[in-house]
Amino acid sequence: MKSITCYLFNSEFQTIYRVTFHFSHQALLPLANVSMIDYTLEFLTSTGVQETFVFCCWMASKIKEHLQKSKWCRPTSPNVVHVITSDLYRSLGDVLRDVDTKALVRSDFLLVYGDVVSNIDISQALQEHKQRRNMDKNVSVMTMIVKESPPGHKTRCEDDDIIIAMDGKSKRILHYQRAQALKRLHFPMNIFHSGSDEFEIRFDLLDCHISICSPQVAELFTDNFDYQTKNDFVRGLLVNEEILGNQIHMHVTKDGYGARVSNLLMYDTVSSDTIRRWVYPITPEANFADQEGQSCTHSRHNVYRETGVSLGHGSQMEENVLIGRNTMIGANCTISNTVIGANCVIGDNVTLDRAYIWNRVHIADDVKVKQSVICDNVEVKHRVVLNEQCVLAYNVVVGPDITLPEGTVLSMHHPDEEDDEDDDEFLSDDNDVGYRKDKTKQKGINGDTMFPGLVLNADPESDSESEVSEGSHDLGSHPASPELDDVKVFQNEVHGTLQRGLDENISCDNLVLEINSLKYAYNISLKEVMQILIRVVLEFPFHQQGAQISTAQYSSHLLPLLKKWAPVFKNYVKRPQDQLDCLASMEGVFLERETHWAALVKVLMSMYQLEILEEEGIMHWFNQGSTTDKSQQLRRNQGLLKFIQWLQEAEESSEGDE
Amino acid sequence: MELQAVLMAAGGGSRMMDLTYNTPKPLLPVGNRPLIWYPLNLLERVGFEGKHSVISENKPSKVSLKVKMISTTDILVVSCDLITDVALHEVVDLFRAHNATLSMLMSKVHEFTETVPGQKGKKKAGEQRDFVGVDVTGKRLLFMANEADLEEGLVLRKSIMRKHPRMLIKTGLLDAHLYCLKRSVVDFLVHNKSVTSIRGELVPYLVRKQFSKSLNSKNATEDTEKNQKQQDAHHNLELLSTSKEEALLQLARERSCWNDHRGDMSEAYHGGKLRCYVHIMEEGMCYRVNTLAAYIEANRVVPKLFEDPPIHPTAVVSERSLVGSDSIIGPICQISEKTSIKRSNVGTSSTIKEKVKITNSIIMNGVTIEEGCNIQGSVICNNAVIGRGADMKYCLVGSGQRIEPEAERTNEVIVGSDQLMEI
Repeated sequence: MKSITCYLFNSEFQTIYRVTFHFSHQALLPLANVSMIDYTLEFLTSTGVQETFVFCCWMASKIKEHLQKSKWCRPTSPNVVHVITSDLYRSLGDVLRDVDTKALVRSDFLLVYGDVVSNIDISQALQEHKQRRNMDKNVSVMTMIVKESPPGHKTRCEDDDIIIAMDGKSKRILHYQRAQALKRLHFPMNIFHSGSDEFEIRFDLLDCHISICSPQVAELFTDNFDYQTKNDFVRGLLVNEEILGNQIHMHVTKDGYGARVSNLLMYDTVSSDTIRRWVYPITPEANFADQEGQSCTHSRHNVYRETGVSLGHGSQMEENVLIGRNTMIGANCTISNTVIGANCVIGDNVTLDRAYIWNRVHIADDVKVKQSVICDNVEVKHRVVLNEQCVLAYNVVVGPDITLPEGTVLSMHHPDEEDDEDDDEFLSDDNDVGYRKDKTKQKGINGDTMFPGLVLNADPESDSESEVSEGSHDLGSHPASPELDDVKVFQNEVHGTLQRGLDENISCDNLVLEINSLKYAYNISLKEVMQILIRVVLEFPFHQQGAQISTAQYSSHLLPLLKKWAPVFKNYVKRPQDQLDCLASMEGVFLERETHWAALVKVLMSMYQLEILEEEGIMHWFNQGSTTDKSQQLRRNQGLLKFIQWLQEAEESSEGDE
Repeated sequence: MELQAVLMAAGGGSRMMDLTYNTPKPLLPVGNRPLIWYPLNLLERVGFEGKHSVISENKPSKVSLKVKMISTTDILVVSCDLITDVALHEVVDLFRAHNATLSMLMSKVHEFTETVPGQKGKKKAGEQRDFVGVDVTGKRLLFMANEADLEEGLVLRKSIMRKHPRMLIKTGLLDAHLYCLKRSVVDFLVHNKSVTSIRGELVPYLVRKQFSKSLNSKNATEDTEKNQKQQDAHHNLELLSTSKEEALLQLARERSCWNDHRGDMSEAYHGGKLRCYVHIMEEGMCYRVNTLAAYIEANRVVPKLFEDPPIHPTAVVSERSLVGSDSIIGPICQISEKTSIKRSNVGTSSTIKEKVKITNSIIMNGVTIEEGCNIQGSVICNNAVIGRGADMKYCLVGSGQRIEPEAERTNEVIVGSDQLMEI
């Protein structure tokens, strides 16, 4: 008997969900008016899974409630669903370690993320997996199911770009890498020593996040307690393949649909694909979740209507439209490529294109919405225009007469807040336009890391841009592109930590603790930590006050910060070498901002007085041969010379005292 | 004529010096024909008429100068040591169909099974492999590098992967040294004297160049001050600009719905002007006679190609001798009685006396083998004399050498001392 188990685990979802949809769980978000978790369970059931374990941490009670009401918990359900909750499930690693501890699985199981929408037939992959397991016991531990979708395919988003090198014959994975921020793809030579003479390097695959795992997978997670994600696991196994002897294979499917709704771009894509019936037999009119009142009719041009929909005079549903029950649409509306939830009221002369409107939304007259998401209970007043990639989170009220620029996110909930804080206070003032955040403003501070997936559309233009820049590659010029390596992410995180420390008056000890934990999370060396810390602090005023502040303003902002965070620095700057690194990093920052050289002296002075830097260190740095013209120029700065002179004198006088 | 054939025959055979120190490589007998006959025959079979340029210069720039003088068309470069039964049109078709800059021939590497004289033990398997990257059709050449240059790992640009998201990396392929080259490449070679080898420099350069943008290289090199660089860039540009298609071709492509790739909507070839293709032989024969092992193997295989009678009519073969059907005997040979010859080639005007046993061997021209010799797995070069009753196993006997009677030699290379000095 097949005892295949599935893990829907829900804590690792991306920040954008946390920010915008604070009131619901990702798995419960409606996709074409059906909760995402239902798609996943439907897929599992259709593949013949008989027992499913749902692991959740975040909003577990809501998921449980939803499942209990759904058809999966009826006695007739062919797939028995168990919900296992714990606050400790922070990553896939935690879940699988728990699976191992509880010994939940004894045979092969299926590992699926809670937001997978798919109709892939995995029977062949299963067979292959079993064959491999029979032939070589305990060698192949995992078969990943990937879908062929060349670059530019709709279901691909930049975040999920992977590059896979595999053995041409055995389909064994030799190298697996996320290629999102890479311009060049690097393959170590040892992967080509496997004795095969044919390898495939594939960039046309989309990881469906469906994997057939042997029970060893859970054990391996226990053995390697630092594995957090599947990515860690796969990379770890491949790197240690020679030692552990475990292999990972893959199964490439050409037809079938499989995608993970990991961000808004994918939300957009998968929704429209569902309506366009790519996920057949999972279609809106099938009402596979078997919920009362959900049944709808399907008519030409993929127009779906649930019961009780009323459409005003002259309104047109052009194509690919799904309208939930009891929704009222006014006169002369034009609706295309849109999903509207239940119990919405839409006024007259409204134009909706690629809009995803959830339940109980009120849209007044003369509103235009393009490619945006509007969550539950939102009220859009008349003559509001939503441009591309806007998100209106729960209970937001917008308008009247406002045009929101591209990429606006409106939420009643402050995005920087801690997750475990109480949200109720924000719910109270329902009628305000909540915190409004412009993506472009935010970009300067946090880059895109805060909101991976905010961009609904990884538009082809950005693709072509990078193409152009790549053209110049063989000439060795790397354009400054938003490559987000660990260091960069770490820098952003440190910035965030300090910002929060400032806002919430967190003690320096705790800041050090947080930075240290970040250090381990991103695997940053101590030297880099210090350099980044210096950089972040020195650039802090620019982020707070804007880049155009004068030198005087800059130093007046910076000096109190230095004083405040002196213990943090002292924790990292201990040895003489640390001081030199620290100074070098400072030099680096100031070299980038020529206009603020005057502030350097003040910073040095302040650091000296705070006993972060010692005079030997500073002197050593100053006397060190500078390599570039610019840094020599920096050293010839009047103020700096004076300061050095003063230091020398102080030194001499102190020596004289002795 | 559409293509001018250029036969490169200047190679000294440096990897098989024992054979070539006094016979030029193109004239080494393979199946009783000079090596150069095979590529010429290959060309003739497909209807190349008139003169082929047999070039005996070893620098491509000089070669290209000569080529420039004698022809104005695209060229087909063939190495003189190629023995193949490939359908040549496959390579040329790729060249024509894609208006390619380069198309070349490769085949699976052969494992040589015969024992090679003078070689101690099996050749180590860990030879430096070539990595050849082709697209999903197996025709478009995307990547080429030798393992020796890849110590740091194999690096690919993501933009290439984006255009050709599925790349097959093959190792274990033999470059047949048969190239179709555009006219513009010849012009490029004339100007770039630094290119010293087609295989080592020109081909990898062209493969890389496929994916660099012409505009960018122009902009970037404008700033460089060094004269040398500018000159190079100038010629690079020339290479690119000369491969710009004529307006009519351009128009045809715009109007056509044909595309060379699937998956994205960009134009055919992604707008690239330079294209390299490769035909990989899945079956059939393809040898490059550039090592002793290959030479022996080629001799063993080649007779199967001919329909000629294995024994030349002018050869005198005693009726009481035994000549296997897998052997060939050259003109004016004398084979005496009670001699047995199996799986061997005997060249022109060689004399084989009584009671000689020859298996698995290559006897070149004018060789004399005295009575009672036993020769196995050996190569006997021109005009050598093997003394009476000698027993030779897996030996190489150089030209004009004399082996004393009753000698017993195993796995040796016997060449003159003067030749050793040369090395």
